[in-house]
Amino acid sequence: MKKIWSAIFTALMTCSLVLGLTNAAAVAAEASEEKILYVAEDFSYASLDAHKEYYGWMTSLYGVTETLFKMGDDSSVEPWLASEVSVSDDGLTWTITLADGAAFSNGEPVTAEMVVRNLQRVAEVNARFAYLAEYEMEAVDEQTLTITTPSVYPTMQNDLASPELGILDLDNTEDFDNAPIATGPFVVDTFEPEGTVTVAKNENYWGGEVQLDGAVFYYMQDDDTKLAAMQSGEVDCYTSVTAAAVEIYSLDPDTYQLTVIPATRLQFYILNENTLDDSVREAINLTVDAEVIASYLSGTVSATDGPFSSSTAYGQVTVPAVDTDAAKALLEADGYTLNGEDFYEKDGETLTLRLYYYASRSLDTLAILMQEQLKNIGVNVELYVEEDPDATYISTGDFDIALYCMISDKAGDPYYFIDSTLRDGAALNCGGFASEECESLINELQYETDTDRRAELANEIVQIAIDDNAFGYVGLFNKTTVMRSGVSGFAETSPFDFYAIDAGTDIAAAE
Amino acid sequence: MAKYIGKRLLQMIPVLPGLTFLTFLLLYLSPGDPAEKKLKAQGVAVSDEIVEQVREEMGLNRPFLVQYADWLVSALHGDLGTSYKDERPVAEKLTDGMGNTLILSLVSLFLALIVSVPLALYTAVRKNRFSDYLIRFLSFIGNSVPSFLLSVLLIYFFCIRLKWFPVIAKGTVQGLFLPTLALAIPLISRFIRQFRAEFLEQLSQEYVIGARVRGVKEHLILFCNVLHNSMMPILTIVGLSVGTLMGGSVVIETIFMWPGLGKLVMDSITARDYPVIQGFVILMAVLYVGINLVIDICYRVFDPRMRDAR
Repeated sequence: MKKIWSAIFTALMTCSLVLGLTNAAAVAAEASEEKILYVAEDFSYASLDAHKEYYGWMTSLYGVTETLFKMGDDSSVEPWLASEVSVSDDGLTWTITLADGAAFSNGEPVTAEMVVRNLQRVAEVNARFAYLAEYEMEAVDEQTLTITTPSVYPTMQNDLASPELGILDLDNTEDFDNAPIATGPFVVDTFEPEGTVTVAKNENYWGGEVQLDGAVFYYMQDDDTKLAAMQSGEVDCYTSVTAAAVEIYSLDPDTYQLTVIPATRLQFYILNENTLDDSVREAINLTVDAEVIASYLSGTVSATDGPFSSSTAYGQVTVPAVDTDAAKALLEADGYTLNGEDFYEKDGETLTLRLYYYASRSLDTLAILMQEQLKNIGVNVELYVEEDPDATYISTGDFDIALYCMISDKAGDPYYFIDSTLRDGAALNCGGFASEECESLINELQYETDTDRRAELANEIVQIAIDDNAFGYVGLFNKTTVMRSGVSGFAETSPFDFYAIDAGTDIAAAE
Repeated sequence: MAKYIGKRLLQMIPVLPGLTFLTFLLLYLSPGDPAEKKLKAQGVAVSDEIVEQVREEMGLNRPFLVQYADWLVSALHGDLGTSYKDERPVAEKLTDGMGNTLILSLVSLFLALIVSVPLALYTAVRKNRFSDYLIRFLSFIGNSVPSFLLSVLLIYFFCIRLKWFPVIAKGTVQGLFLPTLALAIPLISRFIRQFRAEFLEQLSQEYVIGARVRGVKEHLILFCNVLHNSMMPILTIVGLSVGTLMGGSVVIETIFMWPGLGKLVMDSITARDYPVIQGFVILMAVLYVGINLVIDICYRVFDPRMRDAR
């Protein structure tokens, strides 16, 4: 029997050793002269057809597709495949000139006619962009196109920066799902649906010298695996670093570079005006301490006053400072008294609020922290978790407090968020908020073309909602990026999720 | 035997529609809308009109029975439909995942058997000795450690400290080693305890005492009699484990980036991808029935009494 056991043990150890040595040899072989960037990504889709679903987010991130305009780090719109843009006096017709030399990876030039056909294709295959079909689009010459809208559409450039509107060579692409031909600094080398994607340098890149020879994007959902892959040297960079991993990377600044910036994903709560008195809503907003919550979430979110980053012109709103004494005074002035359990009650009924949330994007933690903070002033909060908020409490409006998380700034303009949450009848305006003044300002914002005035209007609109205690804006998720020393240009300063590598991304040679 | 197999396969016919109907019904009743999940995958808000339009395109506005009947008729024609999530054929997605899960499961099971059977036999023979206590203690630990923790520990020691294996599997033999180990360790631990109990029972039987009295060599008693007579319960335990391995390795698959069925079905449930979930249910049902059938056939091979029984 001892012999059998010894044989098994020896066999296993030999197997481990052989496999291990083979791995060491493979690692050594991979360490070649080529500059290949290894990236861990949270998402990987089944197709690379940039026009469908959200696949364009990934092709943009892979450096394969480019759009007419791009979003700058400060959320401003910058030209990309387009070089110039102008709008007619009536605000209806946009004239876009393409950049000189803009070309696909196969050397074919990007023409105005091809751009028009691309936009028409997106309208056909992507329901979120079906509205493009209502626009008249025309190629004036090789490099100029016009887009005429039925009504004034101030955010045209922002929309054209959406990654779903990446420009593809529709004539020469034979397999849109696996090998789209586009204009970016990289071309698809290998593609596994919902798996690893490798890209290689576009030798014909129109925008200048590409620094990397290629990149490998691993589909990694598990945070511990990302950390381990980074520590073992198999991955060079990734975003959405967890608080625990940040602590580990921070201990070794010589090996890892960390960048933390507020991004565009917002945690907020909706206060139901149909079920909560004004005093209760105000007391809640005076009690919930976003700074404490952000601190508890260890740097993964930044506390915010409004839905947009305070670094933007349209993110300039104010909220009253946290004041629990004032909150209590408000409740007492409204007839609430503390009972024996230290909860407020009125007419013999304890003030009990139903808080609904879903267990994603740290909303479960936020729910518990809000419950704790409100309990401290004498408000009893019962927590209810739902798997799908849109199909449950958001659609029924059956809640006192509803937590939600969404991208608040998808393309450097406030209208999308305001239209989705504050307009009368919007899906996320499910707490009974209604203001004629606000509605009128939203209508004005919809057609306002002056950027400064748009920011003013957005600030006024959001401020009305804040003053009405209809919502509470808690935190903007940070975009936390870790890069191995020597890696640069991984879009670490861009708040948008759909940028990663470009022609300038580089790995410095080891000293 | 052929008649018996045919009869067992025929028994599946009423099982499959019933199972798929129940799954479809439960998915239909559970909150969550595939169209909304698809449109809001990146946290971007979309209007109700767009959601409604996509629901219409996906056929989700049709009555429940029409949706189910439509799916069932297609499935009976061999078409499991396309994924709501990415429009890839369900059969293709399941085949991709199935291959990877099958490799991982079978290799893990093989490893578990070649380690646990001799160890269980050894502990049974060495009952209440130090080595018995030690192996039982280790198997207790192995059984108690959650698979995610075990996976992380394996990655830490083998990938980061020793650098023997890559964290990223890449579909290679080296990549298979750690997920196999992570799946096999709890299985080995469970098998040792279950097999040991069975071996002990066999060792206390009179035929063992008789053989020893007759001077039959110990290793012949163990391998030719005890092991052979324990095969039926061992087969039952192994058969049940195969089913669990095929559907329940989601944590391992996620941590080791192994694109198998467990991960596919979890993603599909989150996305309310009904066609993929339905396809998975059919696959698992067929698999379970198939495994049970194989075990029953094995019973008949190992036990002549069952072969003769009607």
